[in-house]
Amino acid sequence: MSAIGYTKAGRRPRIGDYLRDAALYLIILIFFLPVLWIILTSIRPNMEINTRPPIWIPRELTLDSYKILLGWPTPEGAFGLGSNIPFGQYARNSIIIASVSTLFSLTFGTLAGYAFARFAFKGKNSVFLGMMLARAVPGIALSLPLFVLFARLGLSDSILGMIITYVALNVPFTAWLMDGFFRAIPAELDEAALIDGCSRWSAFLRVDLPLALPGAAASGIFAFLTAWNEFALANVITRTPASRTFPPALYEFTGQFVSDWRGMCAMSVMMLIPAIIFVALVQRQLMTGLTSGAMKG
Amino acid sequence: MATISVTKSPARARVFEISADEAKRLPWLLLTPGLVALAVVVAFPMFYSFYLSFTNYDLTRPTTEFVGLYNYIKLFSNATFWQAFGRTVLFMTLAVNLEFLIGLAIAQLMAKALLGRGLLRTVLMMPMMFAPVLVGFQFKWFFNDQVGLVNNLLFTLTGQPHIIPWLVQVPLGFISILVAEVWMGTPFMVIILEAGILSLPTEPFEAAEVDGASGWQKFRHLTFPMIGPFIYTAMAIRSLDLARVYDVVSIMTGGGPGTRTELIWTYVYRLAFTGHDYATGSAMSYVTVIVSFLFTFFLFRNVIRSRWEGRE
Amino acid sequence: MSTKKMTRRDFLKYAGLASGAAVAASVMGTLPAAAAEATEKPSLFQFPHIQKKEFEGVIVRMLAISGANYDELYKIIPEWEEQTGAKVEFVFKGDGFQTDKRLVQDFAAGTVDYDVCWDHSSFFSQYVKADGLEPLENWFSDEELADFIPRLVDATRRDGHLWVIPRHFDISCMHYRTDLMGADQVPETWDQFKELAKQLTDPAKGIYGTQFAGKEEALSGRFYEVMTAEGGQLFNEKWEPTFNSPAGVKAATMFAELYAAGAMPPGMTSFVWEDVAKNFAAGIIAIYSEWYGWYSFFQDPSASKVAGKFDLARQPMGDGKIHSGWAGHHGFSITKASQNKPAAASLIKWLTSVKGNELEAKLGFLVARQSVWEKIIVEAETSTDPLAKKRLELALLQAQEDFKTPPLIAEWLPMSNILYPILQQIILGDVEPQKGLDDAAEQVRDMMAKAGYYGTGA
Repeated sequence: MSAIGYTKAGRRPRIGDYLRDAALYLIILIFFLPVLWIILTSIRPNMEINTRPPIWIPRELTLDSYKILLGWPTPEGAFGLGSNIPFGQYARNSIIIASVSTLFSLTFGTLAGYAFARFAFKGKNSVFLGMMLARAVPGIALSLPLFVLFARLGLSDSILGMIITYVALNVPFTAWLMDGFFRAIPAELDEAALIDGCSRWSAFLRVDLPLALPGAAASGIFAFLTAWNEFALANVITRTPASRTFPPALYEFTGQFVSDWRGMCAMSVMMLIPAIIFVALVQRQLMTGLTSGAMKG
Repeated sequence: MATISVTKSPARARVFEISADEAKRLPWLLLTPGLVALAVVVAFPMFYSFYLSFTNYDLTRPTTEFVGLYNYIKLFSNATFWQAFGRTVLFMTLAVNLEFLIGLAIAQLMAKALLGRGLLRTVLMMPMMFAPVLVGFQFKWFFNDQVGLVNNLLFTLTGQPHIIPWLVQVPLGFISILVAEVWMGTPFMVIILEAGILSLPTEPFEAAEVDGASGWQKFRHLTFPMIGPFIYTAMAIRSLDLARVYDVVSIMTGGGPGTRTELIWTYVYRLAFTGHDYATGSAMSYVTVIVSFLFTFFLFRNVIRSRWEGRE
Repeated sequence: MSTKKMTRRDFLKYAGLASGAAVAASVMGTLPAAAAEATEKPSLFQFPHIQKKEFEGVIVRMLAISGANYDELYKIIPEWEEQTGAKVEFVFKGDGFQTDKRLVQDFAAGTVDYDVCWDHSSFFSQYVKADGLEPLENWFSDEELADFIPRLVDATRRDGHLWVIPRHFDISCMHYRTDLMGADQVPETWDQFKELAKQLTDPAKGIYGTQFAGKEEALSGRFYEVMTAEGGQLFNEKWEPTFNSPAGVKAATMFAELYAAGAMPPGMTSFVWEDVAKNFAAGIIAIYSEWYGWYSFFQDPSASKVAGKFDLARQPMGDGKIHSGWAGHHGFSITKASQNKPAAASLIKWLTSVKGNELEAKLGFLVARQSVWEKIIVEAETSTDPLAKKRLELALLQAQEDFKTPPLIAEWLPMSNILYPILQQIILGDVEPQKGLDDAAEQVRDMMAKAGYYGTGA
C-alpha cells in the first residue's frame, strides 16, 4: 500500500526520476498560476490592474484591499468596495455553517455508511441509489421551493437553515465514502470485540470508528469544501449579514457601474486561507482514507 | 477483497446477537438522520416544483392556475432547450475525459514523486478549494478581451496587442468555460486516482520488473486495470457534478452571447428566475433531472452490484 | 447618478444574485467630483405641510436604497422627526437589486412590515401587480405635484392611480470626442449616427466608432429607445408585441451592421455599464450614448483620458422624428400594508422636498423638481467647467421632452430577458434581424398570454 513499493523499493533515484519530478512541478505550477495571479492582484495598486499593455511585476505592494475589507484604517483615497461588506459577520457565518454542517454530515453519513456496510436490509439498494440521486439535483432546481419551505418554517435567513441544507447536500457522498471505509475493516475485528464482551455499540465506537477515522477525514474535506463554497442555495436562503456566507458576498465586488477586482481577489485569498489550513492538516489522512478501500468497487 | 458483509450469513448475525426485529429496525434507525435532512432539503422541493411545473406560477402574480401539461408540451418543441441539452452532454463528456486524462497523468507523477508530496498535493488541491462562483469571476476576468490575462500574455509574448473576444467567438466561448471547469475539476481526479495508485500492492510490480517490463507496459497492464474501480468512481462523481454545472458558466458567459454557450441550467435559470417563467423552468428542471437520474442509476447500479452482491 | 438600469435585476426575482450589480449604484457616490461637494450645507427650508408634533410617538418604518450617495438624503430625516415627533426606523437598507428582491418576496409572502419603500419607474409595475402599494393621489395634491417634471410623475401613473413620488432620474445623451469630430458632425438621426460611427472607426489608432452595453436590460433598453425613435412600439394597444415591425428590424439591423463593420469592440456582447464607461474613459470610443451619471468620472483627468476632450448632445432621432430617451427615476412609495399612512406621506414629502432635491442636486443627481433645476442652472453659469451649464440644460430638456420609460407593465424585465439573447444573436450575425425579432415576438406573446393579457389565460 505504500508508494515506495510502486517504484522499486529502496532503489536510488535516477536522473529520470528528477526529470519526472520537474515535469510534475511544472504542471502543478501551471495549475497554480491563476491562484498566484489572484494573490498578486490582491496586493498591488489598483492602477496596475486591468491595464493594456500589462504590468507583470508590481511596482509596489499594498495591503489596502485587505485593510478595507477588514475595516482597518487606510490611506486617503484608497478605493475598494470591501468597506460595504461586513466581513466579520460573513466570516463568522461561513465558519460556523461550514464546520457545524461538516460535523453533522460526518455523523449522519457515518451512521448511514455503517448501516450500508454492516447490515443487509430490505430496500438497501433503493436507499443507496436515492441518496446518489440527490447529488444529481443542482442547487438552482431546489432554490425556490426550498426558499418557500424555509420561509414557512422560519428558517430563511438563519444559520440553522443553512446548516440543515448543507448537511443534506453532504450526507450522500459522506455515507458512500464511509460505507467503503467500514467495509475495508474486516468484520472479524468486530466479532472479536463482541466475543470479548463488548456491546455492539461499544464495538462500533472502539473498533470500527477509530479505524474509519482517516476515512472520516477524507469525507470531511469534501463536506467542508462544499459547505464553504456553495453559492446557489446560500444566495437564496441568506438575505442579510445575519446568515450570509462568503460566496454570495463575492457579488458585492462586481457591478454594472463599478467593480473592484482587487477587493474580490483579497476576499478570495481570505476565503482560501481556512480551506488551505484544513486541507493541509488532513490531506495525509485523506490519502490514507482513500487508499484504504473506499473506492474499491 | 476482504470486504465482508456481516449479515449476509446467518452465523454472523448471531454473533451480533440481532433479533430479527432489530435487524430490520436498526439500519433504518442509523439512516434516519441523513434521510430526514434529505427529505427536507431535496425531496420536498422536488415534489413542490413537480407540482409547480403543471401551473403558471410566477412570483409577482398573486394567483396561480393549473395549466396541465402545457409547460411540458411547449418544452418539447423548444429548440433552444434541446440545443442546450446537447451542448451540456458534449460539455460534460469533454470535461470529464479531459479531467481524467490530465488527472491520471498528474496522479502517476505524484505517486512517484520523490519529495514534497504533501505540499504538492495541498497546492494542487487549491482549485478545489475555490468557490465555483469565484472560479467563474476569475476566469471571466482572465478571458476578458481588452485587459484579460490571456490576451495580455499574448501581447507580451508576441509584442502586439491581441483583442481576441474569448467569451464571444465560436468555439472559443465554449473552450473558455471548458478550461475553467477542467481547471477546477482535475484536482479531484488526481486525488482519487493517486489514492488508487498508492493502494496498489507492490508484488506484481516487482515481478513485472524482474520480467523486464517497460514503464508503459507496467502502466498499461497493471496500474490501469488495477485502479479501474477508482477511475470509475472518480468519473462517476465528476459526471454528476458536471451534469449540474451552472455557477462557473453563469458568471463567465451566462449562456451567451445569444445562446452560444447556453447549457441546460443557465437556460433554466434565465427562464425561471429572470424570465419569471418559473413553471416552465420547473418543467425543464424535471426533464433534465429525470435524465440525470437515469444516468445516475446506470452509473451506480454497477457500484451497488459490486458492493453488496456477489462479493461473498 | 444613474441607477436606472439595473439590468441584472432579473436576479432579484427572488433568487437574485443581484447584490452585485447595484453596488454599482452605490459606488457612484465615491466618484471623485461628486463626493467633494457632498459636505456643503443645503439652505434651510421651512416645510409647509408639517404641523408641530403631529405624529408624536408614531414610528415610520422604511425600506431604503443605500450606498454612499443615496444615504446623504437620509441625513435630513432627523429634522423631520424633530418637527413631527415621529421616529423613522430603517427596516432594511440595500442596493437597488437587494431592495427590489426584498420587496418582491415580501409582497408575495405578505410579510411587509414597513410603511415607506424605495421605488423605481421601471420596477413599480410589478409591485402594483402584486397588490403591494397604496395609490398616492389621495395623499398628494396636484398642487403639491406641480413642481415635479411632469413626465416623471406621469411615468408612475398606472391604472388611473399614482404610485411613486419621484426623487431623481437619469437619462442618456450622446457623448462624443471633440478631438475626433466636430460639433457640426453631431448626428441628428440614428442613420447619420451609424454612418458617422463607421467613419470614425480607426483600427490603426485603436478607435472604435461606437459601442453599446451588450447584454441584459442594458441592451434591450437601447434597442427600445432606438426602435421608438424609428417610430416603432414594443406593444400595440392590445399588448401584442410589435417590435418585429420594420422600425424594430431597422433598429436591430443598425446594431448588427455596426458590429459587422468592426465599428464596435468585438467583446461588446458582454459589456455592462461599467465596461462601456471605462472604454470611453480609456479613449477608445468616438461617440456613444451614455448616462449623465458618469460625467464627473469622465472629467476627472486622473481616471479618464478624455477629460476636457468630449462634449454632449441630445440623443438622435429616427424616422419617427422622435428623439430617443430611455429613462427612469428613483422615488418613494407607501405600502398598502402601512398602518401609518399619513406619517408615511409626510415623510415622503419631506424627502422629495425642495430641500431634499437641492441636497441631491449638489451630489450630482438629476433631481425631480423644476424649481431646483432653475436654481442650479443659474448657479452653473459661474462654474469653471465649460460644460456644466450645457449639461444641465440638456438634461432638463431631455427630461421634459424625451423622457420615456419602458412600458409600465411588470413584464418589461421578463420580456427584456427574452429579447436580449436574441438581439445578441442578431448583432453577432447568428440570426437574421427579421427572423430573430419574429421569434422573440412569438416568445413574448406566449409569455403575455400566460400572464393573462389576452383574456382567457394560457
